[in-house]
Amino acid sequence: MSKKKLVIALAGNANVGKSVIFNHLTGLHQHIGNWPGKTVEKAEGTLHFRGYTIDIIDLPGIYSLSAYSLEELVSRNFIAVEKPDLVINVIDASVLERNLFFTLQLIELETPMVIALNQMDIAREKGIEIDIKKLEKILNIPIIPTIATKGVGVFQLLEKAVEMIEKGTVKPTKIKYGGEVEEKVNNLIKMLEKLQLKYPRRYVAIKLLEGDQEIEQRVNEISPQIVSTAKEVAKEIERLHGHSCPTVITSERYEVAGCIAREVQKLVIPAKPSINEKLHNMTTHKIIGYPIMISLLLLIFYLIFTFGNYTSDLLSNILYGFKPLFVDLFGSGFLGTIVWGAIEGIIAGTTIALPYIVPFYIILYLLEDSGYLSRIAFLMDNVMHKMGLHGKAFIPVMLGFGCNVPACLGCRIMETERERLIAAFVSTLVPCAARSVIILGLVGAFVGIQWALMLYIIDLLIIFSLGRLAFKALPGESTALIMEMHDYKLPHLNTVLKETWFRVTEFIKIAFPLIVVGSLTIKLAEFFDLLEPVATILSPVTVIWLGLPAVTGITLIFGVLRKELTLVMLATLMGTTDFAVVLTHVQMFVLALVAMLYIPCVATIAALVKEFGWKKALFITIFEITFAIILGGVAFRLLTLASI
Amino acid sequence: MERQSSGRVEVPLSTLRDGESGVVSSIMPRHGKGWGFEKRLMDLGITPGTRITVVKSAPFHGPVEVLVRGSRLALGRGMADRIFVEVDRK
Repeated sequence: MSKKKLVIALAGNANVGKSVIFNHLTGLHQHIGNWPGKTVEKAEGTLHFRGYTIDIIDLPGIYSLSAYSLEELVSRNFIAVEKPDLVINVIDASVLERNLFFTLQLIELETPMVIALNQMDIAREKGIEIDIKKLEKILNIPIIPTIATKGVGVFQLLEKAVEMIEKGTVKPTKIKYGGEVEEKVNNLIKMLEKLQLKYPRRYVAIKLLEGDQEIEQRVNEISPQIVSTAKEVAKEIERLHGHSCPTVITSERYEVAGCIAREVQKLVIPAKPSINEKLHNMTTHKIIGYPIMISLLLLIFYLIFTFGNYTSDLLSNILYGFKPLFVDLFGSGFLGTIVWGAIEGIIAGTTIALPYIVPFYIILYLLEDSGYLSRIAFLMDNVMHKMGLHGKAFIPVMLGFGCNVPACLGCRIMETERERLIAAFVSTLVPCAARSVIILGLVGAFVGIQWALMLYIIDLLIIFSLGRLAFKALPGESTALIMEMHDYKLPHLNTVLKETWFRVTEFIKIAFPLIVVGSLTIKLAEFFDLLEPVATILSPVTVIWLGLPAVTGITLIFGVLRKELTLVMLATLMGTTDFAVVLTHVQMFVLALVAMLYIPCVATIAALVKEFGWKKALFITIFEITFAIILGGVAFRLLTLASI
Repeated sequence: MERQSSGRVEVPLSTLRDGESGVVSSIMPRHGKGWGFEKRLMDLGITPGTRITVVKSAPFHGPVEVLVRGSRLALGRGMADRIFVEVDRK
C-alpha cells in the first residue's frame, strides 16, 4: 500500500485544549519552530493512520481571522494558501457563542472542516447542555464531542477527519448577513469575479468592507477601482447603521453566532456556585486575592530554590569530580586548559539549566494551564500599569526571579514590540537565582539579613523607576489589558512536560554557545596571565570609585558568565570563604549591589540578542554596566559616611 | 460623562457597580491610533448591542472583570473607560 500524505490543521481560540489534542495525536513526533520569517511559533507533528502519513499543524490560538496580529495573519494565510486537506476547529463547549464566532470565519475561508467540541466536562459542570445533532445540522459540519485532557473522543475525531477527507463532499452552511450588507457583499463578489485571488471571493468581499489592510493591498495591485468602490460602500453602510462598517459586520457575525448558540444550548444554572466559581472568586478577591498570590509565589520560589540549590551542588560536585581524571588525560598545559574551559562552560550551563530552569518552567506551565496565571495578571495589572505595561508583563518579571533568560523569552506574550522591549529590560534587572546567591551568601550571611532585604527593596525600586523612565522615553502609547480568564481546570501533565522540554532545549540552544565561548575566553586570559593586568586596568573603577579590593575586577568579569561566579571566584582568589576577613561590611554591600545590577549575564545577553537584535542588547548591557558602577560608587560614599 | 437617550443613561463601563449590567452602545476610538484594540474588544464579543455585566473591579483603579457572551474577560481600566453602555438608572 502506498503511503499517502495528508495535512490537517488545528485551529481555534486560545485555551480551548488545542495543544492537548495536538499532543494526543502526535505524541513524541513533533517539532516546534517558527513560521518562516515570523516570530510566531509553529508546532508541527506527524502521525500514521490507516495508511496515511498525516502532518498535523497546530495553528496559534486566536479569536479572529483578521490581519491585526501576526498570529491571525499566519493562520489565515496557511489555511487559504497552503490549503490543508482539512481543518479541525477546536471549540470550547463552555463558551460556545464566542467560539462559534471564530468557526463562522473559518467557514468564510471555505476550508473543509470538522469540529471538535472540547471541554464537554467543563460545560456540563457549568450546566450547559448542547444539542450536537442540531448544531451539526445548522452548520453542516461533522462534530465530535471531546474531553481532550482525558483523551475522550480524540480517536473518533481522527477517524472522522480522515473519513471527511476521503469523502470530501460536505460544504458548510455559509452565514448570511443582514439585508443591506448581504446585498453589498454580493455586488462586490460580482466585481471580483474576473480576478485571480488566493482567498475565496466572498471572503475577500467581506474583508474589503471590513477594511482589512492585507486584502486591500492585494486587490489594489490588480484593481484599485474595486478597493475604492468597497470604501464607498463601507461609508454607505456606516451612514445607514450609525457604526463603522467593520463594527457592523463583526456585530452581525456575532449575532449569528449568538442565535446558533441559543438555539442549540440549554442552560441549567446550578443552584450552588461551583468549586471552580468559588476558587475564582477567592483568587481574584480585592483583599484576600493578594495574600493568596503572595504566599503561593513565595512557596514556589522557596521550593525551587531549595530543590535548585541542592541539585545544583550535587550536579557540580559530580561533574567537577571528573576534573582529576581529565587532568590525567589532557594534562594541565595549554590544550588541557582550553578543553577544560569549554567543559567548564557546559558544566556551568548544566548546573543552572537543570536544577532551576526545568522546575521553573514546569511550575509556570502548570500555573498557565490551570488558569491561575491570568488571575495573577488581573491582580497585578494596576502595578504594572505604572510602568506603562499591563498585567501580563508581571509574568516575565516573575520568571526573572528564577532566571532572566526565560523571562526575556517570556516577553513574547506582550502585544507590541515596545511593550516587549520594556518588559524585557525590566526583567533583566530582576534578581535571578544566581544573584540571590550573592545577595544572601555575602550580605545576608555576613552583614545581616536586613541588609540583604534592603538590597531586594532597592532593586525593586530601581526596577520600578527605570521601567517608568523607559516607558516615558520610548515612543508610543501604552496598551491596556484585554484578556480572557478561562475557567480553572486541572492541568494536563503531559502537555506541561512537553512545553517544558521545548523551552529547555530552546534555552540550551540560545545560552550554551555563549556560555562556552565566555568560559573559554576567561580560561585563555587566565592561561596567559592576563587576569592580573586586567584587574590593574580596572582598578580605578573598582578600587578608587567603588572602594573594593582590586581582585573584584577579576571576579566581576567571571560574573558575566554566571553571576554567582562573582562570589565563587572571590573565595578562590582570596583563598577563604570567610569573607569577613577580606571584606568590610560596606565593601560586601557595594559588591553585591554592583553584581546585582551591572550586566545581564552572557546567557541573558544572548536571549536579548535573539529577541531584539544586537543593537538593543548592547544598549541595555552598556546602560546597566554604567548604571551599576555609578550607583555602586554613590552607595560606597554614602555608606562610608554613615559607617555601618 | 453621562449622555441621556430616551430615559436610559449612557455611561462608561468603568462606572458600573459590581454586579451591574448594561448594553454596549459604542466604543470610543483612541485618537490618532488605528483601531486594533477596538477590533480586539469586538472579536472577544464586546459589540454594540451586547449585554455586558461587571462582576467586580480590582482595587486602586485596577482592571474590571466582566461577563460577556458567556465568557469572562479582564479589561484594563483605560479600556473600560472607552466602552459606553446603556443602563437603566433613575
